[in-house]
Amino acid sequence: MKVHFCIPRPLRPLTGGQSRVDVETPGRTLQDAFEVLFALYPGIHDRILDEKNEFRQHVNVFIGNTESRTLAGLATPLAPGTEISIIPAISGG
Amino acid sequence: MVILGEKLGQYRLDAKIGEGGMGVVYRARDEELNRDVAVKVLAAGMLEQLGKDHLLREAQTASALSHPNICTIYQVGRVDDGFYFVMELVEGQPLSELARASQLTTEAVTRYGVQIADALAHAHDRQIVHRDLKGANVVITKEGRVKVLDFGLARRLDSETVDAVTRMQASVERDRAIVGTLAYMAPEVLRGEGGGYPADIWALGILLYEAATGHLPFAGNTAYELCASILQQAPTSLPSSVPPSLTAAIMRCLTKDVKDRFQRASEVRSTLATIQSAAIVSEPRRDEPSGPRTLVLRGIQHLDVKNGDVLLLVGTTKGAFLLRSGRDRKQWQVAGPYFHGHAIYSLSYDGRNGRHRLWASTGSVLWGTYLRSSDDFGKTWTNPLEANIKFPPESGVSLKNIWKIALGPPGAQDTLYCGVEPAALFESHDTGETWSLVRGLFDHPHRPRWMPGQGGLCLHTILPHPTQPGRMHIAISAAGVYQTDDAGQSWQARNRGIRVTFMPERFPEFGQCVHKIVRHPDRPDRLFLQNHWGLYRSDDGAESWTDIAHSVPSDFGFAMAVHPHDPDCVYIVPMESDEFRCSPEGRLRVYRTRNAGGSWEALTRGLPQQSAYETVLRDGMVTDSLDPAGIYFGTRSGKLYASRDAGQSWKEIVNGLPQIVCVTSAVVAELPGSPSVPTPPLKRKRASPRKVPRRKAPSKRTTKFRVAKRKSPRARRQKRSRR
Repeated sequence: MKVHFCIPRPLRPLTGGQSRVDVETPGRTLQDAFEVLFALYPGIHDRILDEKNEFRQHVNVFIGNTESRTLAGLATPLAPGTEISIIPAISGG
Repeated sequence: MVILGEKLGQYRLDAKIGEGGMGVVYRARDEELNRDVAVKVLAAGMLEQLGKDHLLREAQTASALSHPNICTIYQVGRVDDGFYFVMELVEGQPLSELARASQLTTEAVTRYGVQIADALAHAHDRQIVHRDLKGANVVITKEGRVKVLDFGLARRLDSETVDAVTRMQASVERDRAIVGTLAYMAPEVLRGEGGGYPADIWALGILLYEAATGHLPFAGNTAYELCASILQQAPTSLPSSVPPSLTAAIMRCLTKDVKDRFQRASEVRSTLATIQSAAIVSEPRRDEPSGPRTLVLRGIQHLDVKNGDVLLLVGTTKGAFLLRSGRDRKQWQVAGPYFHGHAIYSLSYDGRNGRHRLWASTGSVLWGTYLRSSDDFGKTWTNPLEANIKFPPESGVSLKNIWKIALGPPGAQDTLYCGVEPAALFESHDTGETWSLVRGLFDHPHRPRWMPGQGGLCLHTILPHPTQPGRMHIAISAAGVYQTDDAGQSWQARNRGIRVTFMPERFPEFGQCVHKIVRHPDRPDRLFLQNHWGLYRSDDGAESWTDIAHSVPSDFGFAMAVHPHDPDCVYIVPMESDEFRCSPEGRLRVYRTRNAGGSWEALTRGLPQQSAYETVLRDGMVTDSLDPAGIYFGTRSGKLYASRDAGQSWKEIVNGLPQIVCVTSAVVAELPGSPSVPTPPLKRKRASPRKVPRRKAPSKRTTKFRVAKRKSPRARRQKRSRR
């Protein structure tokens, strides 16, 4: 099924400048969709996931309008046409 | 019929400079405006084919285009039964020729691509389509500017001609003009669906592909085969030397489905500009193809480094700054910020084996910490796709920060180390290409009981022994000093005599919050240590430590540096207390010992002595290797101070920086292409062990202080601060 990733500006150099990447994923979960994205654009992986395969603390991944950590995280099932937004949290100092 | 030397209106035709399907191009002299121009005289039959009114209309429209990357049309005139066009004279080389002649760098490809896309966007915004964008119509001037030719003058192939040509079985040699155009034609145009803005974008993709590789993405021995390839086949894959971002952009231009292609030339432009200016530009290093590089612009005036220059590498919480000066160290050129917005906790210069490599740890709160390097003093840096310093997945630990990048010992010229948070050591034996976790330390039985200091559990100091292979000392806050004698396979705590103020046991085996250790290569078994409360010296290679904190306003501090030529001389910047963490009494003072801690003297000339509540962090002080020694330190308030006379006097050389967290120095030598600078002989002070007062290490059951034993710690600190 096809899902859509919204790419934040700091990561767009890694996707050829694209702010929106459509992927065709053979699986049904958020993890499956990310694996397709990582295969297309390898640099994204380490920017948003740490060595424990968890989203970095200040990176939020929204499925529609819901943050994925409040759902099932990477195991969250997706529907065709789902919009997945990678959004840096307001942080820093 | 046009003859050389003839005048067409005010234009004298001086030389024939080109010929194509549409006609002949002449260099001409505008005798009224006294300038050189190009005059294109349309071939016989073109007028009939294109239609006079249509041609005039297009030329008028095109002449309204005013853009630095579009060849301007000045005038249309009539000659015999035909027309001629007077245009801006563009002298240069067609992009396709340039790409075939030499390997264009990715930066050049994106730079040209941005200009072409900008020209297209300008025209498209005015409802003008080029329709014949191809390598021959894109010229690169000697100044590096792109000029797109023939806007509005394209020989548009009608559908019948296209149909006839696509069935041609004859060799592509037969009609180069048509086939040369075919190679850039979009699938929808070949199918007779007409071309518009998307067809121009397709052609732009062909140009970018050609610029990046030197050849076209679709091939065929006949026009028929070529068209079939364009219609049915995917473009030949781009080589791995082209970075993924540029590959993705080119492929999106060459998407056969129009709706999936870039829809606007301006979108292509901004994509290429992003790649060029802020992101990945794939450039192989001089000696091996590895690692994409980032060209960090943002208006940085890069340093012009020469042999003999002194460099200061300054890391702040919001970027890195590079400074250079001549050997006199009087005037400093500043460049930066590099890695705008990133925390740069460590910088290093590797000048071994002919290298001139800068290393930086760049930390983003959002995207993680990466190790990057530059071989051209900051003009370009590596931009690793994968984190180069990372814990094994099974470790259950993730990297928080890189605190120290250290060079290996003299006998290991390709070795580097990284100290990280959470405390661990990584090593590389191939000049930083690959890194591995030093398991001997990571798996140490003490590790589960290491506690973090206020700044985190960080391995911040790495001191390879200069003469004993396999021996190294490290310091961790708050685990203490550890030593290895077998290149990291096993480690022993080396904290005897160092007290702890935050645990019930005052002199534990480990757990000390050691802030910094230093040693001089001429006396490798002597080390000096700045603790979280306490100044120490070891004369036996860290087996034991002696308290040397006397005649200082406070023995709390972070920074410490040893004189480059005097093993007995050490510099510190006392901080009032662990609560206040600023210079005592508002007086910024550097303290120096010249007798290995026997006594300390304040160095204040040129330093503010009132209302100066400054903090200098553990890596905020450094010396250079010159004579007299240069001493440098940076503050959390963003000031950088320098002394050219081993601390006798100081000068603020930069202010207004973000919070400074590290300062490193280097003297550049053997820089290719730069004249060598003679190095004056050093006047080294001979180390004199007899000057060092020997003090008995305090027993673990008693705690000795320099003031009254019975006073409270707070009273003791207050008394120290009044000194």
